[in-house]
Amino acid sequence: MSDSIFKQNYFEIFSLEVSTNPDLSLLNQNNRELQQLVHPDKFANSSESDKREAMQKTSLINQAYNTIKDPVLRLQYMLSLKGVDMNAETDTSMDGLFLMEQMELREEIADVRSQSDPLDVLDTISSDLKNKSSDLIAEFDQYYQSDALDKSREVVRKLQFINKAQREVNELSEQLEDELL
Amino acid sequence: MALLQISEPGQSTKPHEHRFAIGIDLGTTNSLVATVRSGQADTLADENDRHILPSVVQYKEGSVLVGQSAKDNQVGDTQNTISSIKRLMGRGVNELKILGDNLPYSFAQTDSAVPRINTVAGEKSAVEISADILKVLKERGEKTLGDKLEGAVITVPAYFDDAQRQATKDAARLADINVLRLLNEPTAAAVAYGLDSGAEGVIAVYDLGGGTFDISIMQLKQGVFEVLSTGGDSALGGDDFDHAIAEWVIEQAGVNANDLSASTLRLILQESCAAKEKLSENDQAEITVKFSDSQTWFGNLTSDIFNELVDPLIKKTLMSCRRALRDAEIEKDQVMDVVMVGGSTRALRVRELVGEFFNAEPRVNIDPDRVVAIGAAIQANALAGNDPDGNLLLMDVLPLSLGIETMGGLAEKIIQRNTPIPVSRAQDFTTYKDGQTAMAVHIVQGERELVDDCRSLARFELRGFPPHVAGAARIRVTFQVDADGLLSVSAKEENSGVEASVEVKPSYGLQDSEIEAMLKASMDFAGEDKDARSLREQQVEADRVLEAIDSALQDDGNEMLSTEEKESIMKARGELEISRHQAKDTQELKAAMANLEKASASYVAKRMNASVQKTMAGHKVEEFNND
Repeated sequence: MSDSIFKQNYFEIFSLEVSTNPDLSLLNQNNRELQQLVHPDKFANSSESDKREAMQKTSLINQAYNTIKDPVLRLQYMLSLKGVDMNAETDTSMDGLFLMEQMELREEIADVRSQSDPLDVLDTISSDLKNKSSDLIAEFDQYYQSDALDKSREVVRKLQFINKAQREVNELSEQLEDELL
Repeated sequence: MALLQISEPGQSTKPHEHRFAIGIDLGTTNSLVATVRSGQADTLADENDRHILPSVVQYKEGSVLVGQSAKDNQVGDTQNTISSIKRLMGRGVNELKILGDNLPYSFAQTDSAVPRINTVAGEKSAVEISADILKVLKERGEKTLGDKLEGAVITVPAYFDDAQRQATKDAARLADINVLRLLNEPTAAAVAYGLDSGAEGVIAVYDLGGGTFDISIMQLKQGVFEVLSTGGDSALGGDDFDHAIAEWVIEQAGVNANDLSASTLRLILQESCAAKEKLSENDQAEITVKFSDSQTWFGNLTSDIFNELVDPLIKKTLMSCRRALRDAEIEKDQVMDVVMVGGSTRALRVRELVGEFFNAEPRVNIDPDRVVAIGAAIQANALAGNDPDGNLLLMDVLPLSLGIETMGGLAEKIIQRNTPIPVSRAQDFTTYKDGQTAMAVHIVQGERELVDDCRSLARFELRGFPPHVAGAARIRVTFQVDADGLLSVSAKEENSGVEASVEVKPSYGLQDSEIEAMLKASMDFAGEDKDARSLREQQVEADRVLEAIDSALQDDGNEMLSTEEKESIMKARGELEISRHQAKDTQELKAAMANLEKASASYVAKRMNASVQKTMAGHKVEEFNND
């Protein structure tokens, strides 16, 4: 198995089906088993070329692992398997209603310091974002199954927005915690 | 007919031969060396049965003292006695200020980016001073084991950036140590505990040493230690406890710190440190400081006052813990075990607050000063191939995000912190001006948005690609981080194939030439058997030649060579390999190398041509004449 990982897709490396909702505990387990075989530490006494190969294989496995573990990266990767490049900026149009919601959300985040309990507000926003995110993943799944790739792609772009907002919420929570301590 | 001997990766070809490897904990305050003997890992003692080697180096004219004797002389010879040098590892001249004003040394005025301390034995860099400590530890290992060492695992704080890791590796090289792996200190501690108990689950390693604090959240499962996240502060530790007490003493004594000499300050620090240690077992400690012949101060430090002084420092460490948990996506109550590492965790207040935070009784069974060295020895033993059945594997993460500078002085992250390593990542950039034929790449490390707030690791230029309109060139920058967390970067303009790459030798590390000059100097200095040394040098050179030819043959040997050509190279290669292990003098080994060079001369020429053609493809010669 480990010889051909350069030809396998990221899911195949871990013996997983291509899926929006992969079995993450199986991913973890198979990752550990693979690493036992290819990690550079297993080649500490081998030739330079074996060491280099070990590093390349492990780098690829880590890259694949990260991609599958992160929902946005996973969905982008699934699109790339069907030939859709998320990074090519072909269109920038977006669902107006969604953009509206996002702007309101940003205002709410920017305004959070004036609330009586800003950390509570941030926690609520955060769990809303998580729900929104899993809704979008389910939506993606439907489009992807029926090969509606343009629609799938738009869902991923929405998910990127949600993710960015989630990161901002986390960072702001950290800042506020620091200030309160 | 004899069967070919096939050895599995990681296994020794000669199963009965034990390879000696050591684990080194190169600490800010104290250092230790440990090894595995008869399946037991333990630290090694010097001839006076002392395990701990204080990380203190005293330079004298023509000699160097390391350890307790140097520490004893510290007050009398402040300028030439260097302690806590680890804080300066990988730091630049312009960063000395950040480390505080209480460095009692005189720094040389130099053009070099690396700070050098003036001593009676000349200017010394942090790498050289650390190498002097490492040499003593290595000698202790060799003396105890009575054999040549295969190599060493050296521990570093998880929070060390690329420059600091590189500096540590440079120091090892200078001390003539083969580094099997740089290992994060908390990971080493987890290894020391994990194997003893065989437990599975999430553990937090709280490591408060003399000069650094690290928190690591790790997962143990099926013999695999997986670092989920790391955090900490590379400039916070027990030394800061001493400074807090010292400031209290100075305030209580009603003297002005600016009026005190360097040696008086040092004396106060020593007394403060002693008082701190006393408070681990008593609830008060007496402090006496003789400021001058006419003024002696006497005071009583109670544990209540001590707690008040150090609480803000401990709270800072807990903040890092909170962050590391979040990064690992672990809730506090999922943490099964808290492992305490570092002498400063002897302070009862630290144990108390950490226990409260994680709501768990912290583990203190293994001596917190030795636990890191013991873990390093276990890993060294495994890497040296003495543990073929063992499935100990350490999967590590990148401690700080890596990125490059983009327009407007912003840092664009290319690899996020806590990404599993080794890892490689490529990112495409483009030009912003019409006709642009060169691009500067500035590599930074850190979490902040602005380049100025991050650590600058390296700069290089990619030049000579054909002019495009703005935005049309495609420059792919590839980062490769190895298992030690060390980075190399390459950049390539995709349309023309123009390439540039750097091993990241951080601005604050040392140039190879500097290292070589130092190695030479230390060789001249040590009046060792010159012949044996030069044979060893030639053996190293032979290894390099063998590796180079193997790697070339693997890359394109079959395409470029006929069967006869390949056979003649392989024959010369085989002779060199035998000579490498059996030659008794350098002449014989040199002859075997020359023979291989002759046999492969035409192959080397072919490869050169091929690579030049590849680089020049699609270019006019004039383009290569610039600069």
